[in-house]
Amino acid sequence: MQDQFSPMRAAIDIGSNTIHIVVARSTPDNLDIVEDQVEMVRIGESVNATGEISQQKRDDTIATLNAYKALAEQHGAGQILVVATEAIRKARNSEQFLRDVKRETGLAVQIISSGVEAVLTFLGASYELHNEPNAPAQIGVMDLGGGSMELITAKNMQITWQTSVSIGSGWLHDRYLPSNPPANQEIEVATTFLQTYLENMGIKRFPRVLIVTGGSANSLLYLAQRAFHLDTRNRLTRDDLMRCMGLMMALPAEEIAQRYEQPLARARILPAGALIIQRVMTRLHLDEVRVSPHGIREGLLLAYARYGDQWLERVKENAEAAGSGKEANAPAQFASPKEETFVQSGRRMLLDRTKKMLDWCDEVLKHEDVEAVHKMRVASRRLRATLDAFESCSDPKVFKKLYRKIKKAADILGAARDTDVMLQNLQAQLEQMSDEDRPGLQWLISRLNDYRQEKQQELGRFLRNLDADALEEQAQACIPEGGV
Amino acid sequence: MAKARPLKGLNPSAPTGQNARMIAKVRLEELYSWQKYVDDPYSVRELHNLRIAAKRLRYTFEVFGEFFPEASRSIVEELQQIQDELGELHDSDVMIAILRLCLGSQDAGTISDTAKQKEKPLVQPELVNKLLDPAVAPAAEERYGLEGLLHRQERLREEHYAAFRKHWYELQGRDFRREILDVLKS
Repeated sequence: MQDQFSPMRAAIDIGSNTIHIVVARSTPDNLDIVEDQVEMVRIGESVNATGEISQQKRDDTIATLNAYKALAEQHGAGQILVVATEAIRKARNSEQFLRDVKRETGLAVQIISSGVEAVLTFLGASYELHNEPNAPAQIGVMDLGGGSMELITAKNMQITWQTSVSIGSGWLHDRYLPSNPPANQEIEVATTFLQTYLENMGIKRFPRVLIVTGGSANSLLYLAQRAFHLDTRNRLTRDDLMRCMGLMMALPAEEIAQRYEQPLARARILPAGALIIQRVMTRLHLDEVRVSPHGIREGLLLAYARYGDQWLERVKENAEAAGSGKEANAPAQFASPKEETFVQSGRRMLLDRTKKMLDWCDEVLKHEDVEAVHKMRVASRRLRATLDAFESCSDPKVFKKLYRKIKKAADILGAARDTDVMLQNLQAQLEQMSDEDRPGLQWLISRLNDYRQEKQQELGRFLRNLDADALEEQAQACIPEGGV
Repeated sequence: MAKARPLKGLNPSAPTGQNARMIAKVRLEELYSWQKYVDDPYSVRELHNLRIAAKRLRYTFEVFGEFFPEASRSIVEELQQIQDELGELHDSDVMIAILRLCLGSQDAGTISDTAKQKEKPLVQPELVNKLLDPAVAPAAEERYGLEGLLHRQERLREEHYAAFRKHWYELQGRDFRREILDVLKS
């Protein structure tokens, strides 16, 4: 339970099947959820059929987002974070769609990569388990969405492997199980397809516990509990799933929807969801899975609470480190940053701040927007503040070299920026000046403009000669792994 | 610009949050070491150093933001405001120095003096050369306008100083320093 001072935030994810909102008081390790709603919009249906988001789906999405925005505001949410996944990633008209959403709801939607999706899902689906005493060291998380599925393995909260595949319950239904209820032959073909696909996935470490999340998994749990009077534990066994499949092959989706209080659109794709979970369990040699109602949205809230506005960059870094093939060398750090030692933080932060400063080079060289110089100067100052903080655990020689370069960059940027500010102030005053005073001001603006041109040339020469790779290498070498 | 105070006693293998709090305390002391100049509007260098110290403390909170509680965000906002107010004051000081220089005032002599000192000069020597280039010296009507601008800048400076001082005393009234120390304890 969070205290009343933890910030209230909302997270919305636009998936292939659903649009889902969670409003919660959040801290870096825990959430107190006050609202959790879902709408079945099935954007993926139109994207799978035509490659585009249809007008109807667009309108449904905007109506849902407007309702969610009002809901978040009712709860006093300070931030409303919105992400979109596979269907929007794939849609040809996604850019137009995002512009429409921004215009009609005021909400900025961030399309996230499958890697980022996997990381957020892991954070969201596993945070409750991590807070349990005696939590297992080796766990897996499977997020079964409508258009894709993410599989993640982790050890001691560190992601060791993750993958995303474009197979989801909606997708499998549309491609392999179109009949209602699904026919035996369709099930056989879909099973063979899944078996072959999953066998070829290079899963290196099999988790002892698998947490499954996503709408289909939660609906199957609900169906199993209602149909077979299971107790309320959030687990599904292989037998439970077989019984669910038997039921769903015997009854049409309309009846499943009515009997077990499911939206019809969800009831149609449930057999596909059950089949995918079954095949993944077989592949991982598991007899049961845990079902979590949490996923991307909760992960997004936890990531924001941990990293603030930098959540996307930090999660991207973690996703890259957790990408397949890097398992042995670079497990993604999912321990809360609070657990890092000073040296660990320093190595990460110095490189990160160096990259952030270098990111502005091209914009500054273009010389189209004076704000780029300002942003790069601020980035150089933050990097200097970081260097000052970590000097005591740095290699003195590398530190000195790096510090000199950053100081030089900051000085040149500072001279250009200070002149820009003077010019902006003088230009603003020019309008208010009397005719008698104006020539003096124009004279000064002209002198400062000449000076600014010279500074831009100096800045250009400096940045063109700056070896970005070498600078990043120095930033990496500055703090040895164990400190000095 | 005064150099940043050295950071002593940091422990590389201790949690970052613990070290970040030690750094912030050093930067906080640095900030308040310039407090005695707040009532002297013409301590140009010292008020500039106060601004730099506020900036160093702000960057410490920003760079280590993930290790501090949410309450540190409001501290960052206050520090940003102090920095902006003193920034406007400093911009006015630079502009006044430039205008006096252009008008050949005796007061502008302080600029070349400081250029010889260790402290960074208020106006960059290259800019001084550009402004004093006899080939483009201001004509009589341009000098008239520069005089008007100088008076305007001097009035603006007074306003900037008054705004900063008012804000500073508001922060004193609610014991801003204690607020920061409380955040650093949590």
